[in-house]
Amino acid sequence: MVCKMAMFMDLNVNFTKDKKTLQNIIETAAHLGYSTVAINYTLESQQKKPEIPKPTSISDLFTKLPVVQGRSRPIRVLSRLTVVATDPSHFRPNAEYKAFDLVAVFPKTEKLFHAACMTFEVDIICVTVTEKQPFHFKRAPVNGAIDRGVFFEIVYTPAIRDSTMRRYTIGNSLGLMETCKGKGVILSSGAEKPLELRGPYDIANLGLVFGLSEGDAKAAVSTNCRSVVLNGETRTTAFGIIRTMKKPPPAPTASEEDKSEERENSAAKRAKMEH
Amino acid sequence: MSPELEKCSRSLLVCEKSNFTKEKSRYDIHVSKHYFNYKVSIVIPECASLPASIAGVINSFNSYYRVRDLPIYKLLEEEFLEKVVKKGQFYALSYNTRIDEDNTIAFLPSGQLILSVDKDTYEQLGLEGKPSQYKHRKVLRYVVTIDLTDKLMSPGAKRYQRLITSLKEWVPIKCDLMISSKMTAEEDGGVLQNLLSQYSFEEHRPTLHTHTLKEMPCPSLHSTDRHGDEKSCDPHHFLEWLGAVSMDISSDNEASSFLSTYVCPDPQSLMSHGLLCTVTGFLIPEDIYSLLLELRRYFDEPKFTSWLSMTVHGFVDSPVSWGTTEHGFLKSGENFYNFVCFRNQDYWLHMATGSHDGCPP
Repeated sequence: MVCKMAMFMDLNVNFTKDKKTLQNIIETAAHLGYSTVAINYTLESQQKKPEIPKPTSISDLFTKLPVVQGRSRPIRVLSRLTVVATDPSHFRPNAEYKAFDLVAVFPKTEKLFHAACMTFEVDIICVTVTEKQPFHFKRAPVNGAIDRGVFFEIVYTPAIRDSTMRRYTIGNSLGLMETCKGKGVILSSGAEKPLELRGPYDIANLGLVFGLSEGDAKAAVSTNCRSVVLNGETRTTAFGIIRTMKKPPPAPTASEEDKSEERENSAAKRAKMEH
Repeated sequence: MSPELEKCSRSLLVCEKSNFTKEKSRYDIHVSKHYFNYKVSIVIPECASLPASIAGVINSFNSYYRVRDLPIYKLLEEEFLEKVVKKGQFYALSYNTRIDEDNTIAFLPSGQLILSVDKDTYEQLGLEGKPSQYKHRKVLRYVVTIDLTDKLMSPGAKRYQRLITSLKEWVPIKCDLMISSKMTAEEDGGVLQNLLSQYSFEEHRPTLHTHTLKEMPCPSLHSTDRHGDEKSCDPHHFLEWLGAVSMDISSDNEASSFLSTYVCPDPQSLMSHGLLCTVTGFLIPEDIYSLLLELRRYFDEPKFTSWLSMTVHGFVDSPVSWGTTEHGFLKSGENFYNFVCFRNQDYWLHMATGSHDGCPP
């Protein structure tokens, strides 16, 4: 069993087609002490025909994953999809979303924010950091999201890149902290280059500037991220208890394959009905 | 500025002033209860080179072993338990494990086994433990303390069997360990060497570094300070200066330098030369106590300086600081103590810990 406990995680490393850059970012993250990173594929829904990207297989990037500094285990690489939504129709969970370990939504309007907090099946809700928050955070949706186990994400690299963005990041996050009281927040990088990554204890200190308390800031890089990853895993299971996996086709006869798939699907249905 | 930003992480400093020859002074207990030490640094003003007697004591420090991937249940097997662990003077600490991230194991010389484990491991182990005192909103770390000298844990008893089964079958915990035992091979029947030879291990000696400090200001300390008398500098400034000296940070506070604004505290005097000596390794309290005795004897002959200082640092990733007080790591995990020894056998003892720590004794 892979131990996932309270280790530091960075759940937002931007995907780039440049393999070398991506490899460098992941190696830097391992060197800094992160035990898990998630490669983020952004889906801009405003295009005419948004194509849902397919997550790159990890073996394409690394034959051998870099080892986390100070430990003997290699870094864990997950995949994450972020849907930038300006309209409720933009977020349509389907089988392609299931290919990702984590699903996030970036709501741009107040109505969408409310819907994302209360109903959408997501793990992470992104908070604007590059401009002033267009709407205020209301207590009801924020608490609803926290109760459901959805976390709010604050990205820190825009604050590193530009001082105006730094003001927006701090302003928006202070607004969020007033409403959520420091619960349900994760901090991640959104890094596009290896130099934009910072060590986990530094980010825990940065969390103090964003309005989190010491303990909350450390949790935002470790235990809260663990909760997000576990939530992501339960999305593919029935009530977090039973998981079905497609069996690889064992024998040539077509009728046997159909029967085994049927058995699995009915087992999952039965499990859902029993609980 | 928001009020949270002005607060620093909480840290504790306990100061004690007494004399080595007084019967009631408990300095020996404080030294012996701080089990896991990784560094001792000695600062002697007006001393050009390490005295041979002190070098001799350091050379006689106990060696320690580093074993890789040792399953913990092997240290609890009957023969090893009876011949080594229960006899006392057996120290073991897991290596390359972070106290706030991984499972950490420690064997105390009093015959206790401490397992500081995360929630998932604790739920799978099935042993009785207490939630960590340093939890935030949810409990994510548990500390299992097992007294191996207890009659209920004798080999053959139900609780002992359960412990072995947990560590052998349910959650086979394997880790790199640092082991130090005062017992020789004849005393324990070669059991320790037998066990170590089954795994990949190395024997290490504590490493010694010496550095001569030249022409620098150093605080003048007087042992007869009473509370409020203010002849010497206060402990915080003194410890800060000591830290700057051992890290080779300049305390000149020159106007042209922006790197360091540390300053030697007043009252100060200029010392022509001084000695900074550092010993690193897996150091046990008995060795540190003999070093302290030797340092007390330094003043048997007349010397230029009236004080010398010895600082002992504990492992930041150890599950305990003094005795069985739980130790944790928030932003830093310092737990150290510092002796300032004077010519007349007076001493000052400063014990400091960080945020996730109990108060030093």
